[in-house]
Amino acid sequence: MENVLSILFCLSLFYLAITLRLRTYVTFLRMQGILLSVLLIFPFINHFSVHALIIPAILFVVKVVLIPKYINKIITDMDIRKSIEPTIQQFSFLLIVIFTMILIFLGSSVLSKSTDIAPIPFASGFSAIVVGLYIIIFRKSLIVHVVGFLVLENGIFLFGLSVASEMPMLIEIGTLLDVFVVVFLMGIALNKISTTISGSDATALRRLKD
Amino acid sequence: MLELTLLLILPVLATLICSLIKSFRLQYAITLSVAGLHLLTSFAIFINILQPTLPYFFSTDALSKLFILVLSNVYFWVVLVSYSFLKKDVPLKGQRSKKYYFALLNFYLLANSIAILSNHFGMYWVATEATTLSVAPLIYYYRNKESLEALWKYLFLVSIGIALAFLGILFLTLSAKGGVLEGKQLFFSEFVRQAKSLNPVWLKASFIFIFVGLSTKIGIAPMHPGDVDATSNAPSPIAALMSGSLRVTALLGVLRIFQIVRFTPTYDFARLILIIGGVLSLIVTFIFMFKVKNYKRLLAYSSVEHLGIIALGIGTGGIAFIGALYHIIYNSINKIVLFLSAGNVHLRYKTRQIDGVSSALNILPWSGWLLLLAFFAISGVPPFGIFFSELKIFEGILFSENPWLLAMVMFLLLFIFINMGKKIFLMLYRKDDNLVVNTEKEKFDISHFVSILLLVILIAIAVFSPDVLSKNILAIAKDFGVKL
Amino acid sequence: MEIINIIQGAISLLLILALAPMLVGIVNKQKAVFTGRIGAPILQPYYDLKRLFRKETINANSSSMISRISPVINIVTVILAAAMLPVGFAKPLISFNGDIIVFAYILGLARFFQILAAMDIGSSFEGMGASREATFAVFAEPIFFFTIGSIAFISNYTSIYDIYQSIRLDNLSFIIFIIVCSTSVSILAITECSRMPVDDPNTHLELTMIHEVMILDNSGIDLFLYQYSSYIKLAIYAILETSFFYPLGVKNYPLGLLIFIVIILFLSVALALAETITARFKLKSIPQYLLFATAIGILNLLIYTFTK
Repeated sequence: MENVLSILFCLSLFYLAITLRLRTYVTFLRMQGILLSVLLIFPFINHFSVHALIIPAILFVVKVVLIPKYINKIITDMDIRKSIEPTIQQFSFLLIVIFTMILIFLGSSVLSKSTDIAPIPFASGFSAIVVGLYIIIFRKSLIVHVVGFLVLENGIFLFGLSVASEMPMLIEIGTLLDVFVVVFLMGIALNKISTTISGSDATALRRLKD
Repeated sequence: MLELTLLLILPVLATLICSLIKSFRLQYAITLSVAGLHLLTSFAIFINILQPTLPYFFSTDALSKLFILVLSNVYFWVVLVSYSFLKKDVPLKGQRSKKYYFALLNFYLLANSIAILSNHFGMYWVATEATTLSVAPLIYYYRNKESLEALWKYLFLVSIGIALAFLGILFLTLSAKGGVLEGKQLFFSEFVRQAKSLNPVWLKASFIFIFVGLSTKIGIAPMHPGDVDATSNAPSPIAALMSGSLRVTALLGVLRIFQIVRFTPTYDFARLILIIGGVLSLIVTFIFMFKVKNYKRLLAYSSVEHLGIIALGIGTGGIAFIGALYHIIYNSINKIVLFLSAGNVHLRYKTRQIDGVSSALNILPWSGWLLLLAFFAISGVPPFGIFFSELKIFEGILFSENPWLLAMVMFLLLFIFINMGKKIFLMLYRKDDNLVVNTEKEKFDISHFVSILLLVILIAIAVFSPDVLSKNILAIAKDFGVKL
Repeated sequence: MEIINIIQGAISLLLILALAPMLVGIVNKQKAVFTGRIGAPILQPYYDLKRLFRKETINANSSSMISRISPVINIVTVILAAAMLPVGFAKPLISFNGDIIVFAYILGLARFFQILAAMDIGSSFEGMGASREATFAVFAEPIFFFTIGSIAFISNYTSIYDIYQSIRLDNLSFIIFIIVCSTSVSILAITECSRMPVDDPNTHLELTMIHEVMILDNSGIDLFLYQYSSYIKLAIYAILETSFFYPLGVKNYPLGLLIFIVIILFLSVALALAETITARFKLKSIPQYLLFATAIGILNLLIYTFTK
């Protein structure tokens, strides 16, 4: 089942690579959050225990409800164009993403022979990290940078699931809380940026140079 | 339990109280007393009066003791200076920042204390992320466009860096699979003990990711821009705090993974990465010192340079490692003095450009002379401490397997010294007849008092070389397997 | 067994040839109903074909032999391709190892000659359509190979009939795999048959035509052959799509055929709905649309072959 959800995760990454609309980014963030929550609940599907549901529930609330709502609010407040200008062609971007994913999957299958990891969530998580970095590098609008950062975090989370590391519950909650507060602060900063500095592109942030 | 209270629970209470009450005096009093108690506690732990017994999630080995003392020290002096700094005039928009200044400072203390004292990688990571969050609004103190941009860049770059560091921690978990440590949690002490059972490939990947990720926060090349921007645009107490203690907390993470790697085959690789990072920072500082026009940015690049020297020292090992540890202490003390003096200059001249400042020695005698002395201190002039620590580091490099590195390092440091000196001397001595500035004589202020005290401490530690300190540092060196 | 196979294969081919125009008529009627019109009757394509059969064929002065032979090559290749498809899981008339390659490239031959004929007429209108068609064909070809090819890779067969025979919808991940493959193939079908959102089959404006513009200057028997071959192409791709889901049916031949036809009707509803709702993409966004389908195919291939 993890394989299926990881595949859907990768498909969402492809779509994120070619879409141009801001609201679609937020929708896909929601979708990724739902996929991750289902992935967390899945091992416990036979023996329900309240203890096991706490983290998926918090994950769901933070990643599917709170953060996308907050980003939507930022988009509305900032009143920016609903579509963004790409710096490189969509086609080339998707091509780069495909090549990277091929490399990552190849690497993951080679590694899975020597180490005990689940190869597909491993590769999906890692490619989400790389796609998040690509989104940050190749897009100019700052909101999209925030979305890219969130995709990066989702990828790290999926990667962590595949590695099956045991983190105490408190630290997982702390991680989620950190991500939320970081996005919150970024949102406030973006709000101020849009009101004081004209334009909400990364090219507007040019004052601090040597 | 007493120590836990003093070190951790008090800052929590102080944060809550400071965010609720409105009087600055009261906030200042509470923060100062918490800072004072924190300093006393960490000092007592350091000289072994108090033997703390903390839950297993925390550790108090020699490294933690040293670093928490550094943190407490820097924090205390910064808080002491903060009240008079806050009373000085700021643009109207900045009035709002004063309200949460102390609350955030206390939160900063809490987050850093947890990070330094933690024994668990996950907890360290959460606490480090929390320190970023606590410092970010403080960078935005002046509420102008430059500080907004600095805030954005810092927050964004450091968050990405810390996310990458988390990836490195996950790789560490991977390296534990198939061995004794599998499935156990990420405790430092466990990992250090069982280091040989870790998979070397994943360990290498883990080291790289943690190093690169945390280097955004430490501020060494190639990820230094966010940090440099933030340090140069923050108000001077905050900049002093960041230079003195925030980088040190991030450096602790790298040191921990370095400690794990020490007794495994990945050790040489890790050393190489550290040396490359250090030399790269020096090269970057060398290049940018020619171009920099803003004196706070100058000081920020100086921070990059010194953290690079520290990384170089750690990577070289041997006596350079000891020198690096001393350098951490001296650097943080020195930076406070530098930034306080620079802050005073900024308040009088109202500009951060080097060209806008002239005859600082005449107009601001106290701050000018202190800036001059602090500049000499940071460049390694005896009897200030940095001379001794840099000497140890150079000795270590000379006797390591790359003695030619020393020639390159000294060349770079020479030019950095020349450029930095030129710009500071221009600020202090240049006569400019078109200067329009308030020329009333400078009054002796608490920041001057603190600066003088710190410079004296700097000389004292170096010259008298207290036994306790050297014992602690030797214990750390033993933990790291450094052979003298 | 052999005779029964041949008879079933022949019946399949005849069914396709006979009912392909009706499929197009059904789709058009549904589109009309969805938009609130009454629309043309379902058998309208048959009337169109009959009308065209009687008309005179006119060729341009500047055209050469290519324009004469191209419609014939089109119809012949398309009928050959249709003969390779399993309808209702009857063994097709032409089926041998490696016939997916022949299938893809026979249809490619048809397209090649259509493009040549379009350029042969000498008008820039058709030349524009030819260049667009050539571009999209380049991006559409990998889709076919990555999706059908990945199923071929997994099942170790290389004949279309064998590949589709081997699809067993037993575990969930394979079902998801098939669903994702069928999404890719539907994007391919839309491109090859010049449907929305890649090409608008209703308009005749120079900004919006791709397929229509290439046959703009043909008339009479030529046009009859071109139209008929495009109807059969739509039927071919509908069958390719349906065969993904057919394992839900039974192996009994007449009942299977019935279920097959029902599934095709569902697909026609889906096509009509999609055509009604979507507008045509900007021409420069079509390559990335096709690359998206290819990406899905590549992803499927990677996951299922590297985890076998």
